[in-house]
Amino acid sequence: MSKEAAIAIHQLGKSYEESGRRHRIFSGLNLHVNRGEFLVLLGRSGSGKSTLLNLISGIDLPDSGSVIVNGTEITALSEHNRTLFRRHNLGFIFQSYNLIPTLSVGENLLLPLELVKPLTRADRDAVAALLDKLGLADRYDTYPDRLSGGEQQRVAIARALIHEPDLILADEPTGNLDLETGRLVLEMLDTLVKKAGKTLIMATHSREVIGQADRIVSIRDRSLVSADAFGS
Amino acid sequence: MRSVLSRASRNFLWRHPWQLALALLGIALGVAVVIAIELAMESALTAFDQTRKAFSGTATHRILAGNGGLDEKLYTRLRVEQGIQQLSPIVSGYVGLPNDDRFRLVGVDPFVEKSFRSAWQEENSDTDYFARLITEPGTALISEQTAARLNLKVDDEIMVTTGNGEQRLKIIALLSPSHAISEQALSGLIVTDIATAQETLGLFGRLSSIDALIDDEASETLAQIRRVLPSDALLLSAGEQSEAMREMTRAFSINLKALGLLSLMVGLFLIYNTMTFLVVQRRQLIGSLRAMGVTRRQVFQLIIGEAFWLAVAGTTIGVVLGMALAQGLLHLISGTIDAFYFRIDAAALRVTPVQLGKGILLGLGATLLAVLPPALEATRLPPMTVLVRSRLESGVRRLVRITGLAGGLLIPAGLALALLSGKSVMPGLLGIFLLLFGFALLTPVFTLLAMTLIERVFGRFLGILGRLPARMVSAEISRTGIAIAALMMAVAATIGMDLMIGSFRQTVQEWLQGTLRADLYVSLPGEKKSIAGAAGDRQLKARLAAHAGVQMLSSVLTTHIIADEALTKVSVFDLNARARRGFTFKQAAPGGVWDRFEREQTVIVTEPYAYHHDVKVGQTIMMRTEQGKQPFEVLAVYADYSDQGHLAMSRRNYQRYWPDLGYSGIGIYAKPGVDLKQLEDQLGQSLKAPRSIRSSQAIYQASMDLFEQTFTVTETLRWLSAIIAFVGVFSALMALQFERTRQLGVLRAIGITPIQLTALITGETGLMGLAAGLFAVPVGYIVAYVLIFVIYLRSFGWTMAFHVNVAIICQGLALAFGAALFAGVLPALKMARTRPVEALRNE
Repeated sequence: MSKEAAIAIHQLGKSYEESGRRHRIFSGLNLHVNRGEFLVLLGRSGSGKSTLLNLISGIDLPDSGSVIVNGTEITALSEHNRTLFRRHNLGFIFQSYNLIPTLSVGENLLLPLELVKPLTRADRDAVAALLDKLGLADRYDTYPDRLSGGEQQRVAIARALIHEPDLILADEPTGNLDLETGRLVLEMLDTLVKKAGKTLIMATHSREVIGQADRIVSIRDRSLVSADAFGS
Repeated sequence: MRSVLSRASRNFLWRHPWQLALALLGIALGVAVVIAIELAMESALTAFDQTRKAFSGTATHRILAGNGGLDEKLYTRLRVEQGIQQLSPIVSGYVGLPNDDRFRLVGVDPFVEKSFRSAWQEENSDTDYFARLITEPGTALISEQTAARLNLKVDDEIMVTTGNGEQRLKIIALLSPSHAISEQALSGLIVTDIATAQETLGLFGRLSSIDALIDDEASETLAQIRRVLPSDALLLSAGEQSEAMREMTRAFSINLKALGLLSLMVGLFLIYNTMTFLVVQRRQLIGSLRAMGVTRRQVFQLIIGEAFWLAVAGTTIGVVLGMALAQGLLHLISGTIDAFYFRIDAAALRVTPVQLGKGILLGLGATLLAVLPPALEATRLPPMTVLVRSRLESGVRRLVRITGLAGGLLIPAGLALALLSGKSVMPGLLGIFLLLFGFALLTPVFTLLAMTLIERVFGRFLGILGRLPARMVSAEISRTGIAIAALMMAVAATIGMDLMIGSFRQTVQEWLQGTLRADLYVSLPGEKKSIAGAAGDRQLKARLAAHAGVQMLSSVLTTHIIADEALTKVSVFDLNARARRGFTFKQAAPGGVWDRFEREQTVIVTEPYAYHHDVKVGQTIMMRTEQGKQPFEVLAVYADYSDQGHLAMSRRNYQRYWPDLGYSGIGIYAKPGVDLKQLEDQLGQSLKAPRSIRSSQAIYQASMDLFEQTFTVTETLRWLSAIIAFVGVFSALMALQFERTRQLGVLRAIGITPIQLTALITGETGLMGLAAGLFAVPVGYIVAYVLIFVIYLRSFGWTMAFHVNVAIICQGLALAFGAALFAGVLPALKMARTRPVEALRNE
């Protein structure tokens, strides 16, 4: 595993306004994530885990500080370029799966590929192979509403991986799943992400995940605390 | 609990103001159109009633005759010999003023008239100017308002123009109307005594009518009058006259009201769409409330209560909008009634509580009806439901199949009702509504098929992103289907009306080009009532015939005769061979028409007359003459689009029984090689106003202008329903985009740019418009067919050829596509501008 930094966050500050009052989420937050590292992000509800993932992906912008992903300072990019950066370098896994309901399982996986380049037969074969690996080979033409929660999350993982991004961001991926299904999903992430040498940042409460992570950090009092300080 | 419950619902609306505004706009526009038509139509007809009452007052009956009027001795006979006291003689006719205003000149017997308590004399009965009207010839009364408008005062003279030339009248007093209605009625009246009116209008020794005040129970008095009446006169009750006037305009009124209801129907789709969306969007909230113990009934009451207040607010706005719209429509409607049915004086908008009540009831009823299905749906939501959109849609797919089946049944039912309902206009229109509703129910099925086809044909070239718009239309058919149906209905109605108007226009153009055979036409306007005036007309005709540039003439006199017990318009023709070629016979007696038309006691009838009176070739029409009733055989039915039907007879036939009243028009056929412009100028110089000369081309142009003016009302109403449909599509699209905010946020998160998102959404709205347009073409075609061969035939008795105009169909398609695309621009931009983090906020 290379120790080169995949993500470098410097002095990150973020706040939002509600009912005329400004609430600070982060202040002077710093974080380095190594290439191929599996980082678990802990914190109470509302502590800012999702916000941090959004800032790393460029979906949201900080008030201050910078986010550098694979050597690109995404906080300095325009909205359009951030979108293109996400398209090529990032895979996102959401708690509520967020598959596109109007596309079949196969098409949901083909969409990130099509955004990168024109589709080829090889792409379709790759999608079929990945689905096969996930035990969803017979679900290529099925629409998401026909799938169980676990199946939908497996498709969501496949969608995040299909275009082979370097960085995977997962926001409570097992939050809506039962214990057994959650365990299966984590195994899959372990196999497909960690072992493939991709960088994975996961916001979660799952104890099982904590055991598999390379490093654990927690958001406390508007800044990050390492696992040692956290005491787990 | 209840108030907090209501607040939970109300707060949702406050937080989505554009949805609230669109829902209110939908209700308001639908109500406004219906109210506007009702108010404008009633105001126009009331104006006619008021004018009639203004000088007939409380008269219960009226004695009238054809043109030429009644002999004034009849009045003396009835009053002196028969001892019938409550009678009032009337001489009336239209006169022109130098400023081109048109006034009704009414000659009355002021002293007798008092007992009739006409609107104009209520406040003025004690003054002495009644005596002056009688003792001073050439004196008149006008209202204070008219005097102010024309800048006249007492003792001023006004110059009035009649068919007999110009006459001076001296204003001796100003009438003060006691209330708004009499002010309205008096605004177009000049009142004189009988003798002055006879002199001014050239009706020496004649009366236009005699009003009578007779108790309905006094059947002996009525019988007494009937015994004395000459055979060419009629006794009609006030109710019969009023009913006859309303009967004439009934078809026109029904057609307009149908257009208003079309707007409301399109508006209903919009209301249903909005209310359904408001329920669907809050299914989580409703589920949570149910989990907390809120009963199904409370949920139902919550939704219905909310709809009720929306309906109240929307209807209130609609009523105000409707009154403003009615003011504009009144002018157009009065113009059409004036051109096609009867003369109507200046009408003012009259708003009655009954008409407003109808509109309010309709607005409230329609909204509550439209909200019933979504309200029931809300009660069926299980507690704490997390119904996903796709689950909801799969339920909707079943509903789509059922509504498609219902639509499939309604269409043949509508067609059968339209085609097999005899001569009634109402079932015909009901048939069209069933047809439209049936096709609207079928729209979601058609949309699903069209989207599948588009995806199959183009999908392989477009990629996943390119396929998404069609998928989105299909996947959210519960929303897109309703919007497409509303747009389809409005566009189909537009195509149908355009095809009908286009066909009608072409038919009228061909008819006019065929009919206007002469090179020049001299118009001799004014009501042809004066025998004395005929001499002047004859001299003019002789002078025209003697001109070196004139080869031959034709003439027409338009008059009224009592035929089959009804006062009927008759054209009296003196035709040459070229003029005869201008007639298109729809049916004709075997063995030729023209020879028998001249020599035998025969008539030809226009197509509308034949249709409305169920008259066929070979039948006999009984006409009242001074020599008793005379039979006239119907020789032919000919095409005519000038009015609601009349008879035509030869001048030779006419003069056998009726007085010579001169001519209404003279057609001039120039000698070959004559400069027509020069001839027109030369002949024009010898004509005194109001007589005029115009080329056939000018008459053609004026007729076509009138044609276009007549359809302005239709055009206006049609556009209103198109606007409502547009609001519907816009509302549905905004709702859709709002509802799928998170889905679009995910697309942005995985790397779709704002431009791609805009293209995606506008692609979807464009497809919706395309589906609406494609389906609207055949539906519009069927609507046009039913309008031409059922509704217009039954309403007006006109048949016309069906001309299919490809441009109209393309315009319809472009309208649907453009409206949907345009409606999608704002939602597309709004979504594209939304930051993905906001879209994913709930994640």
